[in-house]
Amino acid sequence: MIGICQIVPGPNIVNLAVCVGSKFAGIPGALSAVLGLMLGPSAIVIILGMLYEQYSYLPAIQGMLLGISAVGIGLIAGTGLKMMRNEFNYPPMLIVVAFTVLAAGYFHLGLGWVVLIATPIALYLAWKKSGKA
Amino acid sequence: MSVLISLFLKLSAFSALAFGGINALLPALYDLSVTQEHWLSRQTFTDFFAIAQAAPGPNLMTVTLIGWHVSGIIGAVVASVAICWPSSIMVYFLQNYINNMKNPRMQRAIQFAASALAVGLVLGSAWNISSQLNQHLTAYALTFSAIIVVVFTRWHPLYLIGIGGLLGALGFI
Repeated sequence: MIGICQIVPGPNIVNLAVCVGSKFAGIPGALSAVLGLMLGPSAIVIILGMLYEQYSYLPAIQGMLLGISAVGIGLIAGTGLKMMRNEFNYPPMLIVVAFTVLAAGYFHLGLGWVVLIATPIALYLAWKKSGKA
Repeated sequence: MSVLISLFLKLSAFSALAFGGINALLPALYDLSVTQEHWLSRQTFTDFFAIAQAAPGPNLMTVTLIGWHVSGIIGAVVASVAICWPSSIMVYFLQNYINNMKNPRMQRAIQFAASALAVGLVLGSAWNISSQLNQHLTAYALTFSAIIVVVFTRWHPLYLIGIGGLLGALGFI
């Protein structure tokens, strides 16, 4: 089930909530799972946002957020690298990964274009690979 | 009102394209909210990203904070709903479709293709957004160290966030 949630675009954790919620109670289940997932964190983050407006002038707070943001980017990249195991098992797929990384990361090509160009190539390669396995 | 409509429409479009989740979406989110619409400054975007990373809960809280900044609680609700509804409807219908697929080869192929796309977009996004948010070499060094720790150890991310916040508060970043 987690697999399906990760291949559909959109916030992964919300997709997971939709899958689990709808399994138990259809559409109302999906809705309440998503609401349950979002309400608490939203309230916390808005309170933090209010505190931020009060105290963001403090150099220590500014520095702290810069540090957290730099780490946050590293967490994202590190998680992405860890997700690459399957692609290494079938090296041609690394072409798709390399194209996507360069197009989105270096050339700043819009998300829609990257998805549009990379999807057919990825599907073609994945189809070939799945025939072998 | 018009800003709420624009927030809703543009974030809804992102939702349907975001293979790899919110992390893959950060550069597009930055372009939209900082470069094009001037809803917030680069600094505020960086800070919201940091707050969402450190706070408990899904990483789409960056989007919630942007909405809140644009238009208060209503903005937060509109932004959060917008980023969720198209993908939620898609996954609701696709879960049965993909699970019941008669052709297992097709099923495997779709999963593999989508995961390659997601990995590429997430890595590209991290690269792109690091050039927007990291201001000094020290910040890049911290990002790089975090990558190494994530790939080679099993540390909980909160430790890294704590260390990053501490180093930053002391003025090193």
